[in-house]
Amino acid sequence: MNPPRLGHANLGLGVGLRSVHFDYILKNQPQVDWFEVISENFIDSQGRPRYVLQQIAERYPVVMHGVSLSIGSTDPLDLDYLRKLKRLAREVGARWISDHLCWTGILGRNTHDLLPVPFTEETLRHVVERVRVVQDVLERPFVLENPSSYITFEDSTMDEWEFITRLAEDADCGLLLDVNNVYVSSFNHDMDPDAFIRSLPHERIVQFHLAGHTDYTTHLIDTHDHHVIDPVWELYRTAHQLTGGVSTLLEWDADIPPFPVVHDEVLKARHFMDDHLPEPEPAPREDEPALLAAAGANVFHPLHHIRPEVE
Amino acid sequence: MKGEPRSLDVVQRWFQAVVTHPGGVHAGAASAEAQELVRLSRGELEAVVRRSQNLTAAERLSIYANAYYARLLECLGACYPILKQALGAEVFDSFAFEYLQRYPSRSYTLDRLGEKFPRFLDETRPERETAGAVDWPDFLIDLATLEWTIAKIFDGPGVEGQPLLAPEALQAERFAGLRLVPVVCLRLLTFRYPVNAYYTAARHAAEGEEIPLPEPAAEHVAILRRDFVVRRYPLSLPQHALLQEVQAGATVGEAIAAAAAASDLDDDALAVELSTWFRLWSAEGFFQGVG
Repeated sequence: MNPPRLGHANLGLGVGLRSVHFDYILKNQPQVDWFEVISENFIDSQGRPRYVLQQIAERYPVVMHGVSLSIGSTDPLDLDYLRKLKRLAREVGARWISDHLCWTGILGRNTHDLLPVPFTEETLRHVVERVRVVQDVLERPFVLENPSSYITFEDSTMDEWEFITRLAEDADCGLLLDVNNVYVSSFNHDMDPDAFIRSLPHERIVQFHLAGHTDYTTHLIDTHDHHVIDPVWELYRTAHQLTGGVSTLLEWDADIPPFPVVHDEVLKARHFMDDHLPEPEPAPREDEPALLAAAGANVFHPLHHIRPEVE
Repeated sequence: MKGEPRSLDVVQRWFQAVVTHPGGVHAGAASAEAQELVRLSRGELEAVVRRSQNLTAAERLSIYANAYYARLLECLGACYPILKQALGAEVFDSFAFEYLQRYPSRSYTLDRLGEKFPRFLDETRPERETAGAVDWPDFLIDLATLEWTIAKIFDGPGVEGQPLLAPEALQAERFAGLRLVPVVCLRLLTFRYPVNAYYTAARHAAEGEEIPLPEPAAEHVAILRRDFVVRRYPLSLPQHALLQEVQAGATVGEAIAAAAAASDLDDDALAVELSTWFRLWSAEGFFQGVG
């Protein structure tokens, strides 16, 4: 029997670190429980992004979240990339490292998208083996997230939640349950999101993600550019009850509002916890533009281009 | 009853061929690459991808196909904002669309997505009207080179937190024999068009304001990073010649000789200039120390 969260800490309510908030965070040092950083934005940085992360890691717990591991690809694992992840994790004291149950490309290419895998016995064996290798290399807790998806394969022989459960148990890894992704994928694939969440191995869930999405009526896209909608909060309530509460993080990646708005959004999670913690005091705000980064199209951006500062 | 599932490798190669095809999902599925992996007639996509209550297999695959180009075009635009402004979004995107097919990303980071864009512009440039003459595509190539250099310096190695050469160190005896060590982030560039001046004007332009395209003229620039901000310094030809020699490891005396050869000034006037240059450059953090 595994302990809740596989024994990892509940870090509280965190925010995904985005470059448009660098200055605000350094200047105001907001009372945030923890930050999640996009690994690929920092593993090669020798400039300001890396410097800012260093400052933040000195003040806050940090978790690393990647988008390029491509754990499901039949291409070889990129060991150079893994070694860079390991080095950064050591330098910033990352509590764990996460990525997605997906593949990003094959034949050496990277589409920079989180592509779906068919849920078959072959895929399961392949991903389990690779997760074991990744854990051996990283020597740090490794956690896999369910991505949003827009197709399912005719060849799949099991449901996503069965695949995830068997994967986590066979590879002995943690899970990052993205509650919004469950909602998005369930809508897109005509599944029951509540049944999805209830079917997972709850003691293996180490972290939650929350985010907004875009509704195109016929399908949903995981755009991370809105507030979290009520049905997703209700799923979060269920997930919180089933797990006993785990580290919870809000992602906001396009049309990003000022930091206090993003922080307030994740603090709403307190309303959906069993213990009904009191509503937090709103953080003092400075005059800031309504939006800090505009998205061109409603396309999910798993990576962020950090604009150079130049005179 | 369904047969054996296709191998994961086949499914992934097919999926990538379909969703990255420039002609869209149906053209992708009909391509030789995809057909070799999964032989399908038009309308048979549901043999691989299930339909949902609301969308066909083709419509669902198109979500990935549309996102692939939309995402990467937007990222390239963010890498080259002034070039995109100069070309207009539509023309820029058509260049970028071709580029993504010739040089698809092979890196774990989007930071390298635009690495070969200046080279691509050079490889695909139209024939020069007059052999050896500078023309419009050179402006685009130079501007792209400038923007890429700025991005690399911004997040590349720097000297923040390290001691730099103080201006007074340049007063030492035997100055001419010293070899100055430039900071690791110093780059010297020469352009065929004044793209650095254009870059400055475009950044300061009001929204919607059109910046006239410049006439060809050689432009020299030094670029470095200090306090995590990229700084650009226009250089005269003698200044560029001098710094180039310093960067190549020459002594100060040898570098000054190169500047003199590129200068119209007499020795006395050049000596005054040199004193000003070295004082400015050391104050601006061009040099790490002496070798």
